[in-house]
Amino acid sequence: MTAPLLSIQDIGVRFGGIVALDGINIDVEPGAIHAIIGPNGAGKSTLINVVTGIYTAGQGSVTFAGQTLNRLKPHDICRLGIARTFQNTELFGEMTALENVMIGAHRSGGYGPFVAATHGFGFAAAESRMRAEAMDLLELVGIAEDAAMLAGALPFGKQRRLELARALATRPRMLLLDEPAAGLRAAEIEALNNILLDLRARRGLTILLIDHVMALVLKISDRVTVLNFGRKIAEGLPAEVRANPDVIKAYLGERAANAIAS
Amino acid sequence: MTGKTLLFAVTGIGLFFALPHMLADFQLFQVCLIAVTALIALGLTVVTGLAGQVSLAQAAFVGIGGYGAAILATRWGVPLWAGIPLSGIVAAMAGFVLGQVTLRVSGHYLALATMAVTAIVQLAFIHMDDITGGAAGMPVPSFEIGGRALTSGGELYYVIVPTTAVLFLIVGNIIRSRFGRAFAATRQSEIAVAAMGVDVLRYKALAFAGSAFLGAVGGGLLAPLASYLDPMQFGIPQSIYYMAIAVVGGLRSPAGAIIGAVVFILIPEFLQAFQSYLGLVFALLLLGFIVLWPNGLSGLIFRRPGARWWGGAAR
Ligand SMILES: Nc1ncnc2c1ncn2[C@@H]1O[C@H](COP(=O)(O)OP(=O)(O)OP(=O)(O)O)[C@@H](O)[C@H]1O
Ligand SMILES: [Mg+2]
Repeated sequence: MTAPLLSIQDIGVRFGGIVALDGINIDVEPGAIHAIIGPNGAGKSTLINVVTGIYTAGQGSVTFAGQTLNRLKPHDICRLGIARTFQNTELFGEMTALENVMIGAHRSGGYGPFVAATHGFGFAAAESRMRAEAMDLLELVGIAEDAAMLAGALPFGKQRRLELARALATRPRMLLLDEPAAGLRAAEIEALNNILLDLRARRGLTILLIDHVMALVLKISDRVTVLNFGRKIAEGLPAEVRANPDVIKAYLGERAANAIAS
Repeated sequence: MTGKTLLFAVTGIGLFFALPHMLADFQLFQVCLIAVTALIALGLTVVTGLAGQVSLAQAAFVGIGGYGAAILATRWGVPLWAGIPLSGIVAAMAGFVLGQVTLRVSGHYLALATMAVTAIVQLAFIHMDDITGGAAGMPVPSFEIGGRALTSGGELYYVIVPTTAVLFLIVGNIIRSRFGRAFAATRQSEIAVAAMGVDVLRYKALAFAGSAFLGAVGGGLLAPLASYLDPMQFGIPQSIYYMAIAVVGGLRSPAGAIIGAVVFILIPEFLQAFQSYLGLVFALLLLGFIVLWPNGLSGLIFRRPGARWWGGAAR
């Protein structure tokens, strides 16, 4: 077995009296598409926020490519190669779609403050390279025609795709996607799934994917972890998880589970 | 360089050399005053308009620039042309340190914290009376360059206007670069920009440093123009005055700082009869713009979405 790229060990998070995560262990293999599913309030977003340094865990640790992330700031974690999207989208609403993606490419911009202040040698070339790179990513997620639109004015489905393009612009090794399929139509979900499979195949990206509707993610995931009330209740191949009685119970309630079992 | 920028540059330089022949010395003095005020307001365009951090510390940095340059000149004989940029650098460092408070405070609380800085710095000017002259203030030595003392508005014009123009160009360039985008993104979503690898605290502190530098250089150039410094020129009302200029002109673009400065410097000329109500006029202007036209005059004038740098540039 290869060493996991991302290793979440015994993570616990409390908000006042609420235990949002309770001793969670998850290993994500390099090159995997790993799904985390669970009903509302299960702690899925909290887990992503711990990994990306937005929340501090009360217990446990996270390691990425052998490095401990615990004390790192969100920007440091991004620089190690982890990019993310947000459940309720966090775009730069007053900027165009293209500019949003160019922010993702900020760190690989290739010119310093002096060149920026003077628009001197290399400025135009570096800017047009950033622009072209951002345009390619918009193309990849299928919203190139909206490049000049203000991000805040885009419909929700496109905003989600823009977030994906912006995350990719940071040139990550791993993507954390918080419910990328929420609010999308069936055809859009199909397109998204293809993009994710393609990213894995062509760029070798490792993807951690959150959703609360099972059917969507099971199709493309290699491995699935199920959370409920902050605990891991099941983990395994999609087919195994789908058949797990605890999972059915968590999703459908006790009575339905019994109905299916009998 | 495109044809348009070339035309712009030629017109600007032509106007620069033509104005001294067209205007009286008193009017050139006012042009200088407008330029210096615009430079100070430009600091607020950067920190508040671009990076989204409300600052009511601008008068403190203006004071540091003015007193700093004047004290360096009277005590150590450093000429103003060197003392002004030096004071600017010191103010920038102070601004960077002040920017660290944004780790803990934002919004209204940041406004209050920066206001407190203005009050503290003003108290320092009053109480360090052996070097600042205390409440009575101190005279400013004249601006000497190449053995020549520049005293009148018409003479200082040749220093103040080009310095202002160069700093506006630099700020405009930075706004239209990856750094400007990172500042604007910080204003719009700190959580998202951090997830893009941008060190949010560092950028906010840099924005404060930049605004402090611009404020201090503005203050340093204002000093020989005013020829006398006293602590009452650098209090909380002045911080609010500079913010009002930036807001009325339009916080989102460097052009707004110029427009605001023109309006606020020229209005008193047209309202000679209402001198005692000036404070009220300014307050009403500020209130009216915040409520009715939050993008300021530049937002009203440059509505064309393509007018990036002069119009909605710093978004
Ligand atoms: N910042 C916070 N402050 C207080 N409580 C929080 C905070 N963030 C999350 N919680 C609580 O932690 C629990 C887990 O929330 P989380 O957002 O991680 O769930 P989720 O699995 O992402 O749910 P959903 O499917 O609704 O997005 C919930 O009870 C939630 O109310
Ligand atoms: Mg969630």
